[in-house]
Amino acid sequence: MNGIEQTLIGGVSGGTSILLPALGELISERAGVINLGTEGAMLAGALGSYAMTQSSGNIWLGIAAGIAGGALVGLAHAWLTVRRGGDQIASGLLLWFLALGVTSVYGTSYVGTVITPLSNIAIPGLHNIPWAGPILFDQDILVYASYFLVGIIWFVFYRTRVGLTLRATGERPEVVAATGGKPQLVQIAAITIGAGLGGLGGAQLSIGYVGNWFNDMTSGYGFVAVAVVLFAAWRPVRVLAGAYLFGIVLAAASVLQAHGVSINQYLLDAMPYLATLIVLALFARRGRSDTPEALTRSLSRSGT
Amino acid sequence: MTAAGVPGRLSAVTDRLGDRTRFGLIVSLGYVVSLVVFGVFVAFKGAGAISVYHTIISSTLLNSDALQQTVLRAVPIGLAALAVTIPARAGLVNVGGEGQLIMGAVAATGVGVAVGPHVPGFVSWIAMCLAGAGLGAVWGALPGVLRTWLGASEAVTTLLLNFVANDIMLYLIYQVWKDPNGSGQPQSRPLAHHAQLPKMFGSQLNIGVLIAVAVVALTWYLLTRTSWGFQLRVVGGNVEAARRSGLKVKTLLLSSMMAGGALAGLGGAINLAGVETQLRPDITLSFGYVAFLASFLGRQKPILVVGSAVLFSAVALSGNGLQLNDGLDGTIVDVLLALIVAVPLIVAKYRKRAS
Repeated sequence: MNGIEQTLIGGVSGGTSILLPALGELISERAGVINLGTEGAMLAGALGSYAMTQSSGNIWLGIAAGIAGGALVGLAHAWLTVRRGGDQIASGLLLWFLALGVTSVYGTSYVGTVITPLSNIAIPGLHNIPWAGPILFDQDILVYASYFLVGIIWFVFYRTRVGLTLRATGERPEVVAATGGKPQLVQIAAITIGAGLGGLGGAQLSIGYVGNWFNDMTSGYGFVAVAVVLFAAWRPVRVLAGAYLFGIVLAAASVLQAHGVSINQYLLDAMPYLATLIVLALFARRGRSDTPEALTRSLSRSGT
Repeated sequence: MTAAGVPGRLSAVTDRLGDRTRFGLIVSLGYVVSLVVFGVFVAFKGAGAISVYHTIISSTLLNSDALQQTVLRAVPIGLAALAVTIPARAGLVNVGGEGQLIMGAVAATGVGVAVGPHVPGFVSWIAMCLAGAGLGAVWGALPGVLRTWLGASEAVTTLLLNFVANDIMLYLIYQVWKDPNGSGQPQSRPLAHHAQLPKMFGSQLNIGVLIAVAVVALTWYLLTRTSWGFQLRVVGGNVEAARRSGLKVKTLLLSSMMAGGALAGLGGAINLAGVETQLRPDITLSFGYVAFLASFLGRQKPILVVGSAVLFSAVALSGNGLQLNDGLDGTIVDVLLALIVAVPLIVAKYRKRAS
């Protein structure tokens, strides 16, 4: 196996820990609410799934607990921002601190423990495809789930009535209300489901990619997910590309070092953020129309 | 919604009171509830609520050493909180306090290590503070320019720049500035002793605290007593009205981001030159994000914001005491911090009604 292949395998696997929360963030932002609490949802999902997997020995229950943990954080964000009209950034940050505190307190006893992590399942036939096979089709079950999720989310967004209502809510909630829809309900559902995916991403990290729990283990992946959504200009397939880009860069550093190439890991780490900034700078004017309008309004009060 | 019902029932009692008084009661009740919730939470972890609150107060305020530590931490948090407040008055969302603090510390280290050994102390103190404020201003100007000229959301670009700043700092610590005598620890060379900000009156407080107090006073004056401060509020209130009345909106927005960045950068520089004395990973301990919440809790009013920063500084510090005295995990204070900030979020609706 050469270095490039190694990097890409790690990029897809690690990128999935970013892709899942990014898809969740995408749903939330398409409904007009930014959720910096995604980082907190990931932490809750990571610990929830790890603890459940360990106590029940059943990895499926673990996955369910991860989703539930994330969704709980999302529900709190939905209540604070949609129902109580609170500031979205402040709410997201406070839920991050809350999750950080709670998971550290309850997670300490799981540090250094062992579970049987998700195993890789080689898809018969497909994993023999030269080059692409081992990268895409010899991964764990949550990686495969993420492929389907991208498709499902794309389909729901652009081919169903639910998706239309969701996107309309993100643009003009008052129009949705005027036509008899319930924009608040749509937003609450979107935030909760989105954060549930954040929790699933945390689960993929703790019981999949890393196979371990340690305090603050998401170390900013949730914020990376927010960056990916912007990089992708709120499009599902581009979210997939963006998440793998981040994943590949993260994986590249360790592979390069293993091959004795002296490149500084931290300069490499900064690249995806710089790429996102450049994308934002170049396309912000044109991308204005891409940004869900309700999101623009809640993010900034002075429109220039 | 249960919480929505409570004020409903309350209103029967408080109808005769003025709107402001009623709002004050609701808010106070909110804080009491959040303190009770935290008390219940620590009880689950086997600690006594009374003992925990006693520890929090005694380990941060009641003894002189602890109080000094609270003040020292309040400097970077408070200045970074004002870095959120100044742009917020013009309607901008600066989530970049963390990155601006980091760049301030980076600049101070660079200048302090390079020129510190060759010049008298006071020259390097001034140089470090100016360099920190300068690089902080640049770090605030970047999202400001992206916003005013290219239309990129500053809430997002400031957040991204935090990670870039952190990577730059780590690169410098692990590579360029690595301390050869650091016995493998990732850290920069320490500042020469005479280049560090001197302590005052035999206490642990360095002169940076005085600088910070002066800067806070100056910020308060600029925001509330000058036409610049007034114009920022006009832009923040109604940007269209501001433009039609001939205000230079772009310049005002950019200046608010640069002023904010400069304050946070200064905070990072003071923390480095007076307390840390060398650059190491995790030097900011998420102070920049805590600062955002402090600015939010202080409702963008300079004095209240600084008060909130001192409160959060104490809360953050009390983790040590809780670990020692009550056998709790120190990170539990993040829960308390979150519960405190939850109150203004939950009552946001009533404020709109009361004012």
